[in-house]
This record gives sequence, structure tokens and C-alpha cells, in this order.
Amino acid sequence: MTVHLRGRTAIADRPVDGPLDHLRTMIQALPVPTAPLTFPSREAALGLALMDLSFRLDHVPRLSEHLTLMDRGHMSRTISVDVDLDLISGRLRDTLLVPGDPERAGPPSLWVPVSRYSRRDLAPVTIRDSSGEVVPRLSHRDANRVTAAAFVKLLSMLINAHDDVSAPASPIHQLRHTHQRSRWLIEAAITELIMVGAPAGPRLHTPLDHADLLDTGGGGSRAVRDLALLGLDDLFASEGGEVPFARLLQLAIRQYVLVAQLGLGRPRRFLTWDAPLLPAQHRPAPLQSLAKSVLPVNREFVVEYETEIPRSVKAYHLTLETRQEISVRRFLMSCDVDEEFVEVLAQDLESVAHRAEALGSHHKLLELEMQSIASRLAELGRRRLVDLAGYEAYLARLPIPVGPGSAPPPRPLSAKQVVDALSAGDCSLEVLAAFCAHYASDGMQHLAKSDLAGPALRNIAAGLRASQVGRDITTDNDPREYGAHANWRRPSVELSPQSTEPVRVFAFMTLADEAPALIESITRMVAGLALVVLGIGTLLSGGVAWLYSPEIPEDFVPEQADAVVAVLLLVPGLLLARLDLPSTKSVLGQLHQFQRTLAAASVVVTTALAIVVGTVQSDREMTRLFQLALAVLIGILICCVCEFYARRIHRSSPVPRSTKIPRWLRDARRSTRPPVEPDDFFDARGEV
Amino acid sequence: MTSPANSTKSSELARIAAEAAGTYFSSVQFTLTHGLGNGPPPMPVIDPDKDDPNGWPTDFCHFSAAGLSVSVSTWPSAMSAFSGRVQIGTDEDAGHRDTYSYFGHAVPNPGFLNQSTRKVEVLITLGTAHWSPTYREALMQALIIEKLTALAAERDAPVLHLHTPVAPVPLSIKSERGDGSNERLRDAIAPCLRFSIGVDPQMSGARLDFETELAALAEEYGFGLKLSDQRFNRVRGEWFTIRGFDRERFRQARNRLFPRASSNTPRRAAVVSVVGPSRTGTTATAVAALRERGVGVLAASISSMRKTTFINLVLPVDPEVPEELPPWSGGWLDALPRLSGFATLRPAVTDRADDSLIADWKVAVSPPMRCTYPNSSQQTGATTTGRVPYPIWLWWQIPHRTVDTPALLGVVQAALQPHTRRCEIAYAQSRLCRGDVVRGRAKLIVMLSQEKRDHAAVQRLLTDATETAQLRIREQLPALGRVDPSKVRLRLSPRERWLTYAGISA
Repeated sequence: MTVHLRGRTAIADRPVDGPLDHLRTMIQALPVPTAPLTFPSREAALGLALMDLSFRLDHVPRLSEHLTLMDRGHMSRTISVDVDLDLISGRLRDTLLVPGDPERAGPPSLWVPVSRYSRRDLAPVTIRDSSGEVVPRLSHRDANRVTAAAFVKLLSMLINAHDDVSAPASPIHQLRHTHQRSRWLIEAAITELIMVGAPAGPRLHTPLDHADLLDTGGGGSRAVRDLALLGLDDLFASEGGEVPFARLLQLAIRQYVLVAQLGLGRPRRFLTWDAPLLPAQHRPAPLQSLAKSVLPVNREFVVEYETEIPRSVKAYHLTLETRQEISVRRFLMSCDVDEEFVEVLAQDLESVAHRAEALGSHHKLLELEMQSIASRLAELGRRRLVDLAGYEAYLARLPIPVGPGSAPPPRPLSAKQVVDALSAGDCSLEVLAAFCAHYASDGMQHLAKSDLAGPALRNIAAGLRASQVGRDITTDNDPREYGAHANWRRPSVELSPQSTEPVRVFAFMTLADEAPALIESITRMVAGLALVVLGIGTLLSGGVAWLYSPEIPEDFVPEQADAVVAVLLLVPGLLLARLDLPSTKSVLGQLHQFQRTLAAASVVVTTALAIVVGTVQSDREMTRLFQLALAVLIGILICCVCEFYARRIHRSSPVPRSTKIPRWLRDARRSTRPPVEPDDFFDARGEV
Repeated sequence: MTSPANSTKSSELARIAAEAAGTYFSSVQFTLTHGLGNGPPPMPVIDPDKDDPNGWPTDFCHFSAAGLSVSVSTWPSAMSAFSGRVQIGTDEDAGHRDTYSYFGHAVPNPGFLNQSTRKVEVLITLGTAHWSPTYREALMQALIIEKLTALAAERDAPVLHLHTPVAPVPLSIKSERGDGSNERLRDAIAPCLRFSIGVDPQMSGARLDFETELAALAEEYGFGLKLSDQRFNRVRGEWFTIRGFDRERFRQARNRLFPRASSNTPRRAAVVSVVGPSRTGTTATAVAALRERGVGVLAASISSMRKTTFINLVLPVDPEVPEELPPWSGGWLDALPRLSGFATLRPAVTDRADDSLIADWKVAVSPPMRCTYPNSSQQTGATTTGRVPYPIWLWWQIPHRTVDTPALLGVVQAALQPHTRRCEIAYAQSRLCRGDVVRGRAKLIVMLSQEKRDHAAVQRLLTDATETAQLRIREQLPALGRVDPSKVRLRLSPRERWLTYAGISA
């Protein structure tokens, strides 16, 4: 029996049954137990109940996250949840009861999971309720122990319910009845994995990596291990590549469950805690960073944030707060709440396209499928149109509103044009919205006879996936400039009602230095310095002819050079001291990097001129150097003007250039510029 | 690219395991009652101690047809050690004549995940006359049930429910589309069969293949086929006609397949319940085994409760079978000879390999009892007398451990009493759902006390009766079970699709 290591791909393309590979590796590496690993049944029941509730979290109707950007690279999060214990079903409640002290009167309390987070984040977490009191927590060690008990119990349930359990020669029967050591080995491996945890990395590091076992042959334990592995294969012979047990185990070994003790006396509670500090996952793009630092592009600081929320959450608030000097220029949130629905729809489209011929002989069946597809397409169009309207309203209420731009207003499409556009794979919002209108007015009947039924459906499926219509858009509604808030509500009609797949949330924020900005002060300073140089030159030559005339004025070298040097050194020094230049580590420092360079360059110019005044005695050289200094200062001034122009462009940008913004929105606003990578990316999904 | 494992199925597994491993409960206890169908649904014989919170049944199912009925209740049980997956006791004296009760235990099957599936509901029309099937039609019906469920089993799709006979759906006339307020009144029951399967939404190919083969089957046998309207925002009770009923082709197929079967209507029938852990393909196996032994299916109600499947069948009994046969319970393989005794024309049967699928299942068989059929219907023109049974649908949601389903059904019957001459429960099913609420659906068959022939007048009478009854029930329920009235949701309507509450997720 060989161990297949399939977990070598990147995190995003992680294979489905990675955790079972971890389990297989662990089965190979652990010593074979000689006695069963028994957990109290109460702990197993508690573990299963915690696992169940922590996946769904349907007792958490509202979730809020408050983000604070500490510096470049770190984000702190404060999480608040509303918990409603009445939403936990009676039988689970019995299991979750905290064994109380019989002498202490008062209502009993429950262990309630409130969140899950990555095992990497080992910072202490203190949960407080609305009155500020600390809420007791189940320690990680206890939580891990009950989780291990739960998995051992689940394994035995799956073995007991397996069809082969009564077939004497099968590995399942052997695991259950005759060769129990193999089962104990699986149980021990599960327990070890859960107690110790395993990173999401490529493979588990075990002592086996350091030994060459080929010559020893494995001894007597070999048969036990082989049966355990064979049993796993039989037990989790996956259908369609999905092994629910594997997914549960994967989450259990990568995440901690945060469990709070809550009294039943107050079933509705508000809890808050500081989540572990989130480090940014820097994406190195050296050329891009360099360009941002040395070109007058009026740098923005782009932060992307990704997290997962339970599907049952009814309202999710995301707030962002920064230093008062930093303005939040754009704040958008996008959730993939309808992604599963779109994927199912796309698969339906492809299946119907594939079977168009077979379905063709049952005309009404094809019509039913087409109508079902049409109704869902229309609903998607309607939803995204609502999102787009919200986005347009957001752009209009910005401090500097962004208009519709030069794009022509959408032209009304006839039913035939809509069908043609869809057949060509054009699933832009314009087409979907027109389709929705035609469908609602009964203009899309008898689709089975139309051009849509057939290979065109494949184009629609591809178009739907490409335009990411499963993602919605929520916009900022915080009037403050240095804060942002987006409130996402679960759609009134859930399109995938049975799903408990968590919803992925992407937040996109652009931080910028808005008026009164540093660049304005620097422009004033540079202009002032240019005027000083111009003034000194004019006074020394007795006119402005030195600026343009090829003749060299006489007596340009000042008689009292010290006074001129003092003016050239003191004025920039005083002006520079008035500027509040931030540290380079902070976000503000990043925003001001180029502008700081401009300020420093202008001071360098005047200082150099002061040195020239002090040392050069030739009129000709002095004149030329004064001309040069003025030219450089004007050059710097032009850079400042470019910064203003770049700021204007940034402000009027209709759609953020990010991959996290759904394609349909970028298409709707005719944005053709390629997306750029963010400066910071924070991943709070807790899975890695 | 590999897709990430589906969290929906994982969390469903976690939920099942968490419920199954509850601190005190590791199995499901059930009671099964066979009896006569004219009257209120029988109360469970062990009346669970209402002070004990765990004594409340979690699921309930009642079905009545041809004057016979079967009801099943389940609740969690602490019993964990017994041999096999399911255990059933012998008949216990229920205290009433012609009522036979059985108790049993079953181990739920956590490997059977069906919550994340997409439901496809099918309505099959096997005739347009009023419902009084012959032996031959019963055999034909068994064949069709077998074929349909086998189609589902081939795709590993579980049968979520199957009922026959059910109310037919009148053909909609284009001008009457819309809210349905003007649609023709439905018959209470007709030779129709309704069943639903669960298909993984990610496997639309399997669903389409199923539907195509279903349509091909409809073409072959001539039965009418309607599928639930899968358009967005359509509710249960809205149908899309795929094929109309082809009387001639159906008759030919029936006569060709079962030339020797009697064309008389059975006078006696037995109720048979086959119980076991839920798996796919079990219904097809059970019905096929019976049909091969010459036993047809008069009526059927199949549903899964707590991952345990209950196949309740009403089997016609040949007139030559001796009058007195005692009630019986035992294993499936032992039951087969007894069940094949219901038919006298027995084809030679060879044991089939897939019988092993339900070899560990248990069976309860009632003695043959006298069966009756409704003698009037809309379609056969019985409106001249005005004494026509009409269907009324009921949907409810109440907090668990307040009012149990038989009591609620009793209240509903009492509330309809002033308006009706007769009120029977054709089927009722309730389940414990997420959020600690019991949700249920029922169909009642009523005969109005005022005999009206005019369509509009009957419509008005039915609407008035249901609205008044609904108010009355809402008043009575809080007193009955100390239930918070704001948590009760209940709809009673002569149209099935009006039952749905606003589809806004809570």
C-alpha cells in the first residue's frame, strides 16, 4: 500500500481529499495501539453538536466586523455577534448543557460555538458581553478533545451503517469485528491529527521522512496499517469526488472553534472580541511598487480583504476605520452568495445543450427546462440590476461625484436582439436586464423552438461564468471620510436554499490623501521656493532679463553672499519643518512617499544653490546655476501638477481596478483597464 | 481543477451525526398502526408522557385510502443494542377492532444524505375515471411504481415520497391561468400517482436523463406525465404537463402485460409496511418482488423519516384467500411467501439477487380487511347530486413539544365539522425541522353539508369553510398546547398552491 501524496499544489488549488492523505500519512507513521482509545459518549455527543453548530452558526443572526488598519501590513479586527440561543434545537441544547453545580441555583448554561478561526492565529481571545463582562470559554485543549471524540464516534457510526459491515470477508467487517487494531489505529491517527493540528501546507512531516523502511519490511504492523488504509478506501469510496467526512476533518485540523459558555437565562446575547491580528499577505510586485514610488501618479493605497461568513447570517456589517489624515476613497464589498446558484444554472445549461437532441423528441420537457433556465436568468438580471443601481447611487453621493462618463446610455433591446446577444455568449448586465423585462412580460414563451435551445446554451453558460453574475455588490454608506461601513443583508429569497456553503466576502478599499492633502502644501512650498530663487536672481541682476536673455548680467555675484545663503537655507528649512511628514512604515507614509521626495528635492535644490552662492565667483556660472535651479524647481512644480491631475483621474475612476470586483460591474461601467494588484491583501478565511 | 469539497454535505453529515449521537439517544423508535380509514387518525398506543420532553414524537405520517389507513410516529430512543438495523415487535392489542399496532426500533443511516438535494416532483395520471382500481390495474400500478423508482435508483436518487391515489390536476385553460382562483375544482382522489425524488443540484445531467426516460416511459405505457414547475418562484402544486393521458395506449399496455389478471375490483385488501434504513432502490425492489408474485398495489405511501424508510402499501387480496389471516410481523424474506399468498394467479418466481438490498428489512402485515371506494367524483359527472368529495390542503408549522400532529388533525376536523357532512384525512405528514419547529402538510377529503351544483357556489362555500375553520383552529391551538400564538403558522385552502407563505427567508 502506498501513500499518495496529492497535496503538493498551491493552497488555492488544494485537492479535495488532502486531509484524508494527512490521515493516511499519520496511519503509516503512528505506532499501532494495543488497546482501544475510548472517549466518554457525552464528550462525543458534545463534540458532534459543537461541530454541527459551528459549521452552520445558524444561531448567529448578525455578525459585525470592525477593521482597523494598524500600519502597512497589519490589520486588527473586532468581531461582534448577536447570538440567539432559542434558535438551537432542543435536542442539541440537551447535549450542549454545561454540567452545572447542583447547589448553585440559576438557569443552566450551554457551550455555544460562536466562531472558527485558523490554528495559525494563536493570540489569546477574550470574549465580552454587552455589559463588558468576560464570558467563560472552553479551552482549546478541551475543544480539541471533544472534537477528537466526535470524529471517533462519527467513524464508528459510518462503519456501523456501511453496507459491508455484515459481509464477513470485507475490510469494513474486519475493522468492526475481527481486526480491531486497525480501527484503533485509524482512531488514534484522527485523534493525533486533531490534537496537534496540521497546517494547510503540502504534506505532513512525520518521522517516516527520516527513515528508510524498505529493508525492514514493516514488521507485523504492516498488515494492520494496510487493513486500516484499505478500510478507509472502502469507507470513503467517494461518489463524484466528494467526501463529506474528509471536509469535516480538514476543517477540524486547520481551525479552532471558539466556544463560549452562555446562560439560558438570557437567550439573546451580544458578544464581542478582538480577533487575532491579521498579517497582510504581501504580493511582491517590485516593478509596480517602484513605479508607484518614483512617478507622479498620486499614489493610492489599495487594500483587499477576504473573509467567510456563515450562510445563515442575516446581516453582516463591515466597518473600516483609519487615521483621520487618511481618506477612504472607495469602499466596496462583494459576496459570492449567488455563485452556487449560477454554477448550478451553468451546469443545467450545459447539460441541456448536451442533450438537446434527446430532449428534442419530448418537446414539452425541453420547454420546461428552457423556461426554468429563463426564469433563473431573469432573476439574476433583476438582482444584479438592483446592485448596479445601488452602485450608481454610491458614485453619485461621493464627495466628488462620478458621473456616468462618456459611455452612451444603454439602448433598449428587442426580444430577438436579446436572444441573439445571449446566444453569442453576451451575458452583460444590459442583456440580462432586457431579458428579465421580456421574460416578465411573457415575451419569452416557446423557447424550445427558439435559437436559444441548443449549442447556444453553452455560450450562455460560459458567459455567465465569465461575467461573475453570482457576486453581488454592497457599497459604503458611512458619511465620514476616514471611515467606511458596508451592510450586507441576506437576499430576501435565498437562491440556494439548501446550501450551507459559507459565503465568501471580498472587500475592496482605496485609501488616499484627500484635500487638504500634503501635496497641496508641498506645491505651495515648491512654488514659494521657486519665487525666492526668482526674487533673489531678479534683485541681484536688477531685472528679469536674466531669465531669458543669453547675455550675462554683471554683478550677479552678490556682495553679501552670507545673507543670500542664509535666506536660501532658512526659508526651505522653515517650510519643511511646517510639513508633517509621517513615518515610512505607516500607510500615510506610503501614500506620501513620492511627495516627500519632491519636498526633499526642492530643499536639495535650494541648499545646492546656497552652496553655489557661497563658493562661485563667476557671474556666468552663477547665472547659469540660478537658471538651472529655477528650472529644476519648475520641474518639481510640474510633478506636483501631475500629482493633482493623477488625483483627479483616480477620483473619477468609475470602477476600481481589482479582480475582486465582479466582471459584470466592470463591463457595465465600460472599464477596460486591466486590474492591478493591491498593496495589501488580508485573508481572514481562517482556513490556512 | 479540483473543486473544493462541498460544505453543504459535510454540514449535513455533522447534523445527522450530532442528532444521532445525542447524549441519550442512539436510535429511532417507531410505532406503526394499521386500521380502517374512516375516522380520526389513531393516537399512538404508547401515549408518550407529555411531561417528558423527549417523549414527543418527532415525525408523524398518516395515510388512508380504500377505507384502510396506516400511521407511523417516530421519536428518539435510548435503546442502542439490538441485532440488525431494524427491529419490529408483534402486533399489540390497540383496544379497537381492526386496529393493529407494532413497535420497533431502527438505527438511522448517516450515510444517506439527502437534505442538499433538489426535489423533482412527478404526477402520473393512470386514468381519468373515478378511482376504483381492478386487480389488473393494481398490477399495472405496481409495474409503474417499480419502473419509476428503478429509474431513480439507477441514478442513485432517493425517493423522497410516493403517494397513490392522489388528487388529479385539472388541465388548465389558457384564459384561466394566473392565481388559480377560477380554476376548476379538483377531485379528491383519482387514479394518479405522485412522487418526488431528490437529485444533487450539481448533477443536472442525471436529472435530465431521468426526466427524459420518464417521458419515454410515459410514451410507452401511455400514462399522463406532469412535472413540478421548476421555474423560479413557482410553488408546490404548480405543474407543467409533459404528456397527456393516452387512454387507448394505456389500456393496450395493461391488457398486453397482464392478460390473465382479473378485471374485478378487489373487495378486500391488506396493509403492508416494509421498514428499514433508507437507501436508494429499495422501493423498486420491494414492489418488483410483489409484482412478480402476482400481487399488485392498490395504494401506496412511501416516505423517509429520520433516515428510516417506511414503504406502506395497500395490497389487493384475492377473493379466494381464506377470510381469517392473523396480523403478522417479521423479516422481509419470511414475509414474501405470506404476501404472495394474497394472489392466486402466481407466476413462477426466481429469487433475484437484488432482493438482498432489503433482506434485513422488517415487514408488518395486517389481516385482509374490507375496502371501499368513493362512489362519486367531479369527472364522472356526479355533480348532478352535488355530493362530491373535495380536497382541502393544510400546511402548518408549530413549535415542537406543544401540540402533536394527531391532536392538531383532530382540531382541524372538528373545526371543519359545521361545514361538512364528512371529513377524512387522506394523508398527513409532519417532521421536526431546523429551529425546533414541526412542519406538516395534510390533505383532507370533505363532503360539504350543503349540496350545491354550481361551480362558483361550491368554490365560495369551500373558501368560506376553510377561512372560518382556519380562524377557529388558530383560536383553539394555544389553549390546547400552551403554544405562543405568534409562533403558529397554519394555512387551510382548497387550492394546494395557496398554502405557501411568503417565500422570504426568515
